[in-house]
Amino acid sequence: MEALLEASVRLAAPLLIAALGELWVERSGVVNIGIEGTMLSGAFAGFAAAVATGSPAVGLVAAAAAGCGVGILFATFAVVRKLDQIVVGMAVNLIALGATGLGARALYAGNPPAAPTLAALPVPGLAELPLLGPALFAQTPFVYAALGLAVVVGLGLSRTGAGLRLRAVGESARAADAEGIAVDRVRFRAVIAGSALAGVAGAVLTLSHSDVFTEGMTAGRGFIALAVVIFGRWSAGGVVGAALFFGAATALQFRLQARGAEIPYPVFLMFPYLVTLTVLAVAGGRARAPADLGRPYRREAPAG
Amino acid sequence: MSSLARGPAALVRDAVPPTLAVLGALALVGVFVALLGYAPGRALTALLRGSLGSGAAWTATLLKASPLLLTGLAVALSFRCGVWNIGAEGQLLVGALCATAVATRTLPGAPAALVLPAVVLAGAAGGALIGAVAGALRATRGVNEVISTILLNFVAIQLVALAVHGPLQEAAGAYPKSDALPAAAMLPAIGRLHGGLAVALALAFATQLLVFRSAIGFRLRAVGHAPRAARFAGISPELYGWLVLALAGGLAGLAGAFEVAGVTGTLYERISPGTGYTAIAVALLARLHPLSVIPSALFFGALEAGAGAMQREAGVPAVVAQMVQGLVVLLSVGLSVARPPRARGLRTPEPKRGID
Amino acid sequence: MPQATSRPAAYAARLHGVSKAFVPRRPVLDGVDLAVRAGEIHALLGENGAGKSTLMKILVGLLRPDAGSISLADAPVDLDRFTPAEAVRRGIGMVHQVSALVPAMTVVENLAFGDARAGLWFHPRRARRAAERLAARFQLEVSLDRRVEDLAMGERQRAEILRALGRGARLLILDEPTSVLTPREAEALFASLRGLRDAGRAVIFISHKLSEVEAVADRVTILRQGKATASLSAREADARELGRLMLGRDVPPLERPARTPSVAAPALEIRGLCAPGLSEASRLREIDLRLDPGEILGIVGIDGNGQRELEEVLAGVRRPTRGDVCVGGRRIAPRPRALRAAGLAHLSGDRDGAGLISAFTLAENWILKGSHDDRRFFRRGWLDRAAARRAARAAAERFGIVPADPDAPIASLSGGNAQKLAVARELDGDPSVLVAVNPTRGLDVGSARFVHDELLARRRSGGAVLLISTDLDEVLALSDRITALVRGALAAVPPGSDRAAIGAILLGEAAA
Repeated sequence: MEALLEASVRLAAPLLIAALGELWVERSGVVNIGIEGTMLSGAFAGFAAAVATGSPAVGLVAAAAAGCGVGILFATFAVVRKLDQIVVGMAVNLIALGATGLGARALYAGNPPAAPTLAALPVPGLAELPLLGPALFAQTPFVYAALGLAVVVGLGLSRTGAGLRLRAVGESARAADAEGIAVDRVRFRAVIAGSALAGVAGAVLTLSHSDVFTEGMTAGRGFIALAVVIFGRWSAGGVVGAALFFGAATALQFRLQARGAEIPYPVFLMFPYLVTLTVLAVAGGRARAPADLGRPYRREAPAG
Repeated sequence: MSSLARGPAALVRDAVPPTLAVLGALALVGVFVALLGYAPGRALTALLRGSLGSGAAWTATLLKASPLLLTGLAVALSFRCGVWNIGAEGQLLVGALCATAVATRTLPGAPAALVLPAVVLAGAAGGALIGAVAGALRATRGVNEVISTILLNFVAIQLVALAVHGPLQEAAGAYPKSDALPAAAMLPAIGRLHGGLAVALALAFATQLLVFRSAIGFRLRAVGHAPRAARFAGISPELYGWLVLALAGGLAGLAGAFEVAGVTGTLYERISPGTGYTAIAVALLARLHPLSVIPSALFFGALEAGAGAMQREAGVPAVVAQMVQGLVVLLSVGLSVARPPRARGLRTPEPKRGID
Repeated sequence: MPQATSRPAAYAARLHGVSKAFVPRRPVLDGVDLAVRAGEIHALLGENGAGKSTLMKILVGLLRPDAGSISLADAPVDLDRFTPAEAVRRGIGMVHQVSALVPAMTVVENLAFGDARAGLWFHPRRARRAAERLAARFQLEVSLDRRVEDLAMGERQRAEILRALGRGARLLILDEPTSVLTPREAEALFASLRGLRDAGRAVIFISHKLSEVEAVADRVTILRQGKATASLSAREADARELGRLMLGRDVPPLERPARTPSVAAPALEIRGLCAPGLSEASRLREIDLRLDPGEILGIVGIDGNGQRELEEVLAGVRRPTRGDVCVGGRRIAPRPRALRAAGLAHLSGDRDGAGLISAFTLAENWILKGSHDDRRFFRRGWLDRAAARRAARAAAERFGIVPADPDAPIASLSGGNAQKLAVARELDGDPSVLVAVNPTRGLDVGSARFVHDELLARRRSGGAVLLISTDLDEVLALSDRITALVRGALAAVPPGSDRAAIGAILLGEAAA
């Protein structure tokens, strides 16, 4: 049971980091389905930098920087040029898939070395607590960062001026504009912040969960993060709960897979996606999205 | 329809922005490739030789273009109706799966004349079914189709894996792939070119007629532009969203059936190299016009066919094709080539409560 | 107050030669001058489409003029750097026609989010205390902790005024503020405005109603077709003169001959109709009504009291929970096609949302509602485009729609021409009942007149019209009988009621 909880939290961490980033983006009224490719870019950049320098910390910084870069690409087209956000997001995913695949082969010729990973950092004393000790206090810094970020994002949305303005932009870009808030600037910055987090989330995969980069290795985790935001009903607390739920589903899948050979493995791999679909089917219709989500804001309309 | 109605000058004018998008994307990737230390000139030569340089190269291009044409039509049809179907990949896979199941498991010894139609229909039905699942979630539960179709793609990948490791695995049991399809289940072919290509071309014309000349097409365009106005005109956006996802699924499923019954002759896990995602680029480059999907699919088909040669001859990994696709999407949409039909939010259809 | 100086400014705002065109050579504003003194209520009068809203968008930095200059508090404005943020900083506060508050946020949050003085942190309690102080200082009563979407229109407006004042506004702009208010709420608003004026604030009051201008304004500037035709003291102008300046021509009063009472079966009868609403206040409760052939029944009400729900039920897109809709004595399933087939047509002022599709062509819009059963344009599942074009061209020519090009998208038409097409389309099948909902909302006077004439023509030829409108003047001018829709239920309006009496009914204050 302890092991299962520990694995749930560990596996939830990348989802949580990516979903918190996406939450920040979506509360500003932008949907970034390029988050999948952004994670992939972070995974690759983090891996490459860590391999080159031998330092996972440098990898982490590189991952965040790569996320920012991809975020700038997305925001330039989706926020500044106001193209359709879904289309731009898909394009970003394709570009990231191609560019990271190309980069990996150019650098390692199909034979990548192992990256140095971030070790678990148990909190003395607390880590030995029964049940929750290993899950919460014997994890890698990524997990602590993810949980800390949840608090930061939650308070940031409800208790900071920036969060208040961000919410106003996401709920009614027109009203925010009329109050002198630069809608596109708020959204641009939100996308970059969210993309940096997506990059870090990708680095969790190459610097903690494994030590290699493989082509397309995010395997839909970015899309699950999108679902986590919906399932979490666009609140930080909800996102934590949803991410832990998906972490637990994945952990359970590994556990069952290890135990019984009776059920073929694709069934387990299908499990998180089916769970997501089921959850959306149950919760989807009632979830309350920011009112201006997915709508580019244009000011000058030919009105009398 | 617009340019066709307005004559050759308009046709040329309309072709300028997509051409620019394609050239721009190739140039950008060329620069990137050069920065990584490859020789872009050699890569381009190899790309062209591999896609257009010989009869065999043309065959490869056409074979790659065929599924792109069908899935591109599927995406164009969906986007026209304001349905963001990202699920052509999964629909194709389920189509291939169902076609294989019918060909290798349910119809041994059936009259030869029945086998091929049954296989093809099974593919279309399978794709339609998985499309309809997304449509049902959207219509009845308000689940956004972007998310649901993406998730169903991953489900479909695992369904294929499940099948070729389990019930559909070859009798020899050596590899995770299905038995070879019986000869009666294979599409007629000239050389390597299978008859599915002709069907795909015919369906491009049929889709054009459906969208611009039929009552159903009229209604689905109305829904795409203004769902609320369509509702007041007695057209149910939910119903048409559902219909269009099933139709699109059918087209993509057909593409899957043609792959196993015309190209591979067997089902295995990585049977689709992301065709359903490339289809989005195909549809957008074609400005969602069914007939324009034909040249668009040919371009991306050539790109895929040439990428292999490029990897062999210039050492540039074939995965750059995906970069080209992404950039073509960005540039073609950025050059206002493809304006998705309505200025929209991400709102799923109004929930059924009260309104319907 | 950044602009506060020891000597108060003489003019809160002066605009000179302001021009703006969205389409080349079709100026919406053409060299407009406007001078607003500090401490006055200045009415900007003009019919819809005269350019009032555009002028104000320029003054608040939302639009950039093609030519002209602006000075605020006697200091010139650099138009290249004049953003909404700069306008706010220079003391301009706009109260929009359509509320610019964030509906999903509370009043306190709305007051706080745009406050440039807000620092890094948002303190809900501190923000609330500031809001309380502000409301007390200007004596504006608002429920601070409720979400804006739950407030009545009058209260939203007060919240918006409060917000502008909280930003240090010296010049308040109110864009047709009474259009969403009951007469009583409007009176309260006027009192607030007078209080602000007496406190030294300037107010620009945009309206197309002469009576309001006379009631509240000190000075008035009249806009007509993008030009300022006059600027004069409100005391020296009389309504007749203002009307002439505003319209530029005499508008003959509507002719509405007396109706002979009908003995035929009712054209439309609604019995015990209940339907779910977008909000609790707009849920339909036991609607009973009867509409005779050759009659116009006006249903007056304030937005959000069930108008939209009633419209949707009668258009067949909202399922009633209970009750019957009968057309020509027959009970009809409340579905779009069934209602239409029974002879019920639907004309909406919400043209972009419900009536026409702006990306579709004239021809495509003409055939939009018949896609399931109209044999003239749809045969065996195929579209007859030539027939659609011919019909649309004929209609465009008959009704003077410009351009009369069946292949032009609706988006290229003016609002008036688009609505003409909608009217022509709805009347095409000679329906026995026409449900017209805010049919002239946002139209210029000429187009509105066209629509009114068509409605009266229906009445003369024995058609029945159900006119659901928030425009009391429109309902009073056209209707044979009037009833009110208040909190989702019909309230009787005695024949001969004046505006004040109807206002009381709309507020739910009439004696039972």
